[in-house]
Amino acid sequence: MSLFGQLRLLLFRSLREGGRNPVLAYALPIIIPLAVLVLVAKTLYRVTDLPGFPTDNYAEWMTPAIIMLTAMTGVGYAATSLVIDIQSGFLDRLRLLDVRPPALLLSRVLFDVVRVVPAGAVLLVAGLLLGTDLNEGVVGVVALFGLLVLWAAAYGGLYFVVALTTRNAQAPLALAPLFLPLQFLSTQFVPRSLLPGWVQGVSAWNPFTYMVDASRAMTTGPLTLAPVAKAVAVALVMLVVTQGLSLRAYKRAVGGS
Amino acid sequence: MSSSPAIEVHELIRYFAGGVKALDGVTFTVEQGEVFGYLGRNGAGKSTTVRILTTLLRPTSGTAMVLGHDVVSAPGAVRKVFGAALQDAALDELMTGREHLEMAARLAGLGKAGSVERAAELLESFGLRVAADRIAAGYSGGMRRRLDVAMAMVRRPDVLFLDEPTTGLDPQGRRAVWDLVRDLRDTGSTVFLTTQYLAEADELSGRVAVVHEGRIAAIGTSQELKARLGTTTVRVRVANDGDEGRIRAAVAPDAVDPYGERWLEITVGGGEAAVPAVIGRVVGAGAQVDRLSIHPPSLEDVFVGLTGTQIEASAGGSDNGKITAVRRGLGVPTGPGR
Repeated sequence: MSLFGQLRLLLFRSLREGGRNPVLAYALPIIIPLAVLVLVAKTLYRVTDLPGFPTDNYAEWMTPAIIMLTAMTGVGYAATSLVIDIQSGFLDRLRLLDVRPPALLLSRVLFDVVRVVPAGAVLLVAGLLLGTDLNEGVVGVVALFGLLVLWAAAYGGLYFVVALTTRNAQAPLALAPLFLPLQFLSTQFVPRSLLPGWVQGVSAWNPFTYMVDASRAMTTGPLTLAPVAKAVAVALVMLVVTQGLSLRAYKRAVGGS
Repeated sequence: MSSSPAIEVHELIRYFAGGVKALDGVTFTVEQGEVFGYLGRNGAGKSTTVRILTTLLRPTSGTAMVLGHDVVSAPGAVRKVFGAALQDAALDELMTGREHLEMAARLAGLGKAGSVERAAELLESFGLRVAADRIAAGYSGGMRRRLDVAMAMVRRPDVLFLDEPTTGLDPQGRRAVWDLVRDLRDTGSTVFLTTQYLAEADELSGRVAVVHEGRIAAIGTSQELKARLGTTTVRVRVANDGDEGRIRAAVAPDAVDPYGERWLEITVGGGEAAVPAVIGRVVGAGAQVDRLSIHPPSLEDVFVGLTGTQIEASAGGSDNGKITAVRRGLGVPTGPGR
């Protein structure tokens, strides 16, 4: 069977399984971002009174960043499933059927990607209900979802590396709260100018900052090339590095063949 | 099918990290159409052998061929000719039996329609038709094992590896697996069966190999091994206390051991052929014998003789291959066996 055929079959398997475990697979990425968006918009709205704050609707400020956050809150499901396949011996069965490692890893990555789309859509609707304006229209929204799935694949890659290196199905779970510091050390809550100096420095090294900045450009605008190009470049580098490391860890995890 | 042996293993060695020798020079050949039993204690090297033969693990050195294909240089060709049910049924808990088989068939290149058909066929012949559309998480141990073996059969393999296929099964489940192996034997398939159940190997296998601490301790048909390495014993019970001495005197004294409650156990040197003479001497000893039973050597005796009696798997090799007079701890005599 061709690599593409294998990939399609394995992705279908993941999607079907996700359907049998919908809370973990599809609801989990939604819950925390939705809670954060609603709570923050209803409690911290006075933040916009700060001098230099670019908008007077805090929900509008938060919505694009929160959509990017969906890629980080439900992450790790696919990586955990892969470790379970290794532990149960199901992966050996697949190897005996000549399933190639890239098909195996990529099918899981794509599943992580698919899972964030409904989550992103729910958060977008919630944002609109809270008064977010989509100044960049349909083009901006399409670009936003493009960046969301790319970011999901890139950030999810981190969890594959951890899962395959430790070969522990619980490890991705332990790493799940990583999104918390990444949020605060980025431009998610306030513009860069309002961050303390040291956080400004750190945020430049935080890949999530670039996703937040680009997602704002794509929704509230203005849509310019620089933030988008930076975000795509950061996510692509992360994706290539994490998948490269995953493939290596995978080969080590399944043993000497 | 080629005329090469089904399995040919030469000086197979596999070391693991930390210098653990899982296999320390294993050589054997399995001809096409054989049901070959591969016996050993936990950790003896059974699964390592199977994982190398099924291309999942590379040997440190040595060669292994399946139907003439080298597992290291031509793993793809090897995978096309065998099926394997490895230790612990490897299932996806959230997939149904039918989905397992259809997916395996698709990956094996059977096409969509062909896969649906093959899956239905296998579900039927493995008694899983009723449970076909339930997810594996709800399957019993026996059903899981049957599904696992059914997946191994998707490609209609010429050689089938079954790694401890009946571990954890109830007697009915075990019988179902045994029937399957017999059917395969009758259709000329080669089966490589690892087990720790000696009765199973005795029942199903033509030849058996006993692997101990990474080496082959003995190889042959079960009859050969029993004749060569086993001991026949005769147990007699004297009617009156104090008559034990007469029996002891009539037979060689050091061949007789007390077995409790006026029972004596006589180790017969020279195999089963010597049994009538021994009984003749017992009868002529002048003691009143009210019970007598003959115990032919069992494969289990041979196995324990080869692999030791200690419960923990030995790290050293103190009793390596040494055959000692092994008493099975039956405690209470079971009376005449036959």
